[in-house]
Amino acid sequence: MAVWIDENGMIVRPAEQASIERSPARDMEIPEGIPDRLKLMIGEVKKIPDDSAAYRAALLDWVRNGAASAYAMTPDEVVAASRPTSNDTSLAGACFAMGEHLHRTVGHDAAVPYWRRAHALDPDNWTYKRQAWTLVTTPEGATENDLMQGPNDVYEGNWLDDVLAAGGGDNYYVRANLERPK
Amino acid sequence: MILNSLRVPAAEFSAVTGWDAKPEGMCRGEVCVPAPGALDNGQVNVEVAAARLGMPVVHDSDHGVWSLGAATATGRTLATAVARFPSTLIDAMGRGFDFASLRGRRIIMIAWASW
Repeated sequence: MAVWIDENGMIVRPAEQASIERSPARDMEIPEGIPDRLKLMIGEVKKIPDDSAAYRAALLDWVRNGAASAYAMTPDEVVAASRPTSNDTSLAGACFAMGEHLHRTVGHDAAVPYWRRAHALDPDNWTYKRQAWTLVTTPEGATENDLMQGPNDVYEGNWLDDVLAAGGGDNYYVRANLERPK
Repeated sequence: MILNSLRVPAAEFSAVTGWDAKPEGMCRGEVCVPAPGALDNGQVNVEVAAARLGMPVVHDSDHGVWSLGAATATGRTLATAVARFPSTLIDAMGRGFDFASLRGRRIIMIAWASW
């Protein structure tokens, strides 16, 4: 996610999906002999839309042209394009933050009920889910996070099943609107 | 915003939420929401302000903390396009970084996670 802020301290594009480079995962061959679950995961990752070329072009246009860039929004457009919020999504954010706080200050078990509630309130939020999943599926002492985030005993969901339930990798995130707004 | 009390210095409330407690109400940029009783002797009465701004409050009684959700009064994450510059950020080396030092330049702020 990225936000653009101009020289006057005004947001000219609100938080949105941002990438300037096509992920190698989009083009990788699915290796033979790997577990079926991993094959399915890679298949869904390959379906995630790639807008990196368009986003990179928009960013370069703003760098070159500043306020005259067609991709720099007016203040009203920025507010209108920012994520809709509701009591449920805000409450989910408060629960997630409470979980983060308790995870740091008390311990992991204290965080779990709040993260479960955040998942239920805002089921489309991958940040809340993946942060929680990776903490229970990464083996103790591992040097890297477990990216598979598979079925576990702590949370109802997991990466693959939740992605499939949400419509697959094609719907993984809300794409940035890079149509020229003016 | 994590709180240990439901009365918070107005400056602290503003720094974290972006909402300033003023005589005319709770304000962010040009947007003001009437909130009688929210400001009292330089302190924000969080229960009053939260109710007016549509901020959910989660309480953990075991650990004596509250978590304040984002305002929902405007129906959008942003109430204004005016950016709030946090006083200090921590860089990858653990050093303080003055975000305001970037004023006057175009900024791209990127959030990323390793998972």
